[in-house]
Amino acid sequence: MSSIYTRGGYALPSSSLDFKTGSWRTKKPVHLHAAAPCHHACPAGEDAQAYLALVEERRFREAWETLVSANPMPTVTGRVCHHPCETACNRSKMDSAIAIHNVERFLGEQALMRGWDYPMSPLPANAPAVAVVGAGPAGCSAAYHLRRQGIKVTLFEAMPQAGGLLATAIPHYRLPRLSLEGELERLLGCDIDFLPNHRLGRDVSIAELRTQFEAVFLGPGLQKPRPWNVDGAVPDDLHQGLDLLREWMHVGTLPQWNSVAVVGAGNTAVDMARVLKRAGVARVHIISHKAIPAADIPPEDTMPAIGREIFQALEEGVQIHEHRGVQRLVLRGERVTGIEVVHMKKLRGTDGRLRRVAFAGTESILPVDQVIPAVGQVLDATGLREVLHEGWFQFESYNGVLKQHNNVYVGGDARGDHGTVSEAIGDGRRAALAIAARLRGDAAPAEHKREPIGVERLNLHYFEPGDRPEQPMLPVAERDAETEIELCLGENQVVAEGERCLSCGNCMACDNCWNLCPDSSVLKTREKASDGSHYVFDYDYCKGCGLCAHECPVGYINMIDEG
Amino acid sequence: MSTAPEIRIEDLRRRQPRNSGLISGHRACLGCGEALAARLVTEAAGPDVAITNATGCLEVFSTAWPESAWTRPWIHSLFENSGAIAAGVEAAYKAQGRSTKVLAFGGDGGTFDIGFQALSGMLERGHNVLYVCYDNEAYMNTGIQRSSSTPHAAMTTTSPPGRERMGKRHLKKDIISIVAAHHIPYAATASVAYPADIKNKVRRAMAIDGPTFLQIHAPCPLGWGHEGDQSIEVARLAVLTGLFPVVELERGGIGSVLQLREPLPVNEYLKRQNRFRHLFRNDARATQELEHLQAIANHNIEFYGLRGDRPAAGDACGADTVRRGG
Repeated sequence: MSSIYTRGGYALPSSSLDFKTGSWRTKKPVHLHAAAPCHHACPAGEDAQAYLALVEERRFREAWETLVSANPMPTVTGRVCHHPCETACNRSKMDSAIAIHNVERFLGEQALMRGWDYPMSPLPANAPAVAVVGAGPAGCSAAYHLRRQGIKVTLFEAMPQAGGLLATAIPHYRLPRLSLEGELERLLGCDIDFLPNHRLGRDVSIAELRTQFEAVFLGPGLQKPRPWNVDGAVPDDLHQGLDLLREWMHVGTLPQWNSVAVVGAGNTAVDMARVLKRAGVARVHIISHKAIPAADIPPEDTMPAIGREIFQALEEGVQIHEHRGVQRLVLRGERVTGIEVVHMKKLRGTDGRLRRVAFAGTESILPVDQVIPAVGQVLDATGLREVLHEGWFQFESYNGVLKQHNNVYVGGDARGDHGTVSEAIGDGRRAALAIAARLRGDAAPAEHKREPIGVERLNLHYFEPGDRPEQPMLPVAERDAETEIELCLGENQVVAEGERCLSCGNCMACDNCWNLCPDSSVLKTREKASDGSHYVFDYDYCKGCGLCAHECPVGYINMIDEG
Repeated sequence: MSTAPEIRIEDLRRRQPRNSGLISGHRACLGCGEALAARLVTEAAGPDVAITNATGCLEVFSTAWPESAWTRPWIHSLFENSGAIAAGVEAAYKAQGRSTKVLAFGGDGGTFDIGFQALSGMLERGHNVLYVCYDNEAYMNTGIQRSSSTPHAAMTTTSPPGRERMGKRHLKKDIISIVAAHHIPYAATASVAYPADIKNKVRRAMAIDGPTFLQIHAPCPLGWGHEGDQSIEVARLAVLTGLFPVVELERGGIGSVLQLREPLPVNEYLKRQNRFRHLFRNDARATQELEHLQAIANHNIEFYGLRGDRPAAGDACGADTVRRGG
């Protein structure tokens, strides 16, 4: 051929693939699975984004298995958690947050209904043994995660049944018995040696446990009411909120009162007030030193109880006196006939410290037959003294290992630094993983400090607006002591929530990068690529324009400096 | 995930589930809208096509001697004659009894200005050709000179803003109406921000035996003055503001249009591009020109009936909604 062309340039025709435009690049796209805000915010460590993706495809069992890889009790937390995941949800900046707690609960209920078992391998014959004290949320979570790690667990519980506060103090209309018992039965049924009626300090001692077991996890909870009085005065027949709740749960009746003031602002106070209503008390007051939640009230000034419970209490006729404190008990003899309340607020003093300030001239008398403090619980040190330091545990915050006793771990309310079910479940999981690592001879897992992906990293244009489904509720007139108030979402509603999920920080295989690359430098794979996505960057030709990153709806592509 | 088999990139490149007429290794700038549009057109048109290409960016960046980024028969002759070459190739195929579809490609310079006469002749004689104009609104290849497609008030090297003028004095030529006036069956506009729409329109045109025309709005990061990663965003804003209406004209009448949910103010589009930055100075003339461009968008919205009655899955907000699994 070359003999035909005697003049001018000549070369064999070739493809532009011979020219590697990748050498132009100064920045390169990489896949980065950033933490979704829901995952980051979950105290129990659930990755809601991951299971919502499976729910969208109606792969409910896999979704549930993903969920229980962090939290063994989704039917419980789906109901009683304050769901910080939804507060953090990026979708709330677009229209409304994903109803994650409803999805969580739906999956938990499906598992109970269909009898799904936890994914777990049988215990090896030479499994190491660990003791767990307290079968509340923290202890149950620790036992479950230890068991998943192939560790033999003996679970000690002082009460005749498992569940801790979930069983003794959360009213049935919030947490139906069948759901709780179903969850506990499955959990204890997976080869966990459960010993009820074993009280620490009476039936077993920490010293014994430490010699008989490779490690000990303590989840004793807070068993003593915080001392309460008004200038030294207490009613002669003082009932503590939590004790009264337990009585109601156990016996089903309460003393006959006409008018009661509950002092406190947490979940126990709100539960107590609602139970009193159900027990036939005509007028129930909550005296709260903090405010009823509202959009313009800062979180540190709002009642710590779960918002929706507060609003349900209001619906049911409980009167909440916000920013109020009890100044004096009005006594006839030793019997309460009323309380003197005063407006008050936490304000910063001249020294810069927050203090409660009562405003003179705002006092009033509230006639009541009884005052019930629900102002919190403290640690019962019985049987724990040898591992306490000045009455409290001293521990590493992340996995709860005691500073002075390196084979003893603590979790749940007894830590004293937090007080929710989900946090207790998270404590149990992290301690279990640390114990397992220790028994293997590995270093304890360290805390991952990943920043969650912000809404500004998403491309919201690619999502259609859509509101979250309304929570179906039992009408006030039909509410009683047993029937659950918040009802379950249906399957299609739950799937719609999966579709609404923005998949923050995790590839949803939408093909945008593949479709929109001007240089055909995003390649699609049928199999999963090594990073779990379905795309591979062709760095031979990628010029680093960043178009894929900008058009990625979920913020999965990051542009980083070359070299 | 570490169990995934290692994928060889060369194999993967060959196994892509699409058949692109324009492949990697071309020399287009970072974030080039035209390169993307051309690839999408060839994917939808399929392999049985021949392409004639007017002089311009597309021709230059795709065929650096001795390489070619084209996987289809492709010919370039001159700036002004893409339409005429296409007509000739089509007539030759017809004489041979072959059904290969001819695609004629040109930029806005090669279509609106220099190749206008050849295009008009091709349309008027009824050749079975799909003419695709990649509209980046100026002569980018030669250094950003204004064309008759450059929008009013845009800055180019030959329409600089200054004491006398605020960028280009004249209006963007309404090429789609002129083309439709040739009594042709199908003429449409599209935008790189809506790839699925481009592909649908190409398929539609491919099925028509006769002259068809597609104008694709394709941002030029260099000429418009934005970063390469913004190309789709800018193209999308042109649509969402009503400045670039995405419409179909069938036999000269308005067919379906890409409806807008709530049209955005034109500033949202203009402020992202340096070619309009003089309009954001504190200057009465700048304010007047902004109002003028807003009025043009309003006119487009009214003329083509772009405002939808209610949100719809197929409108400009819903048409590109992503789904898990693509």
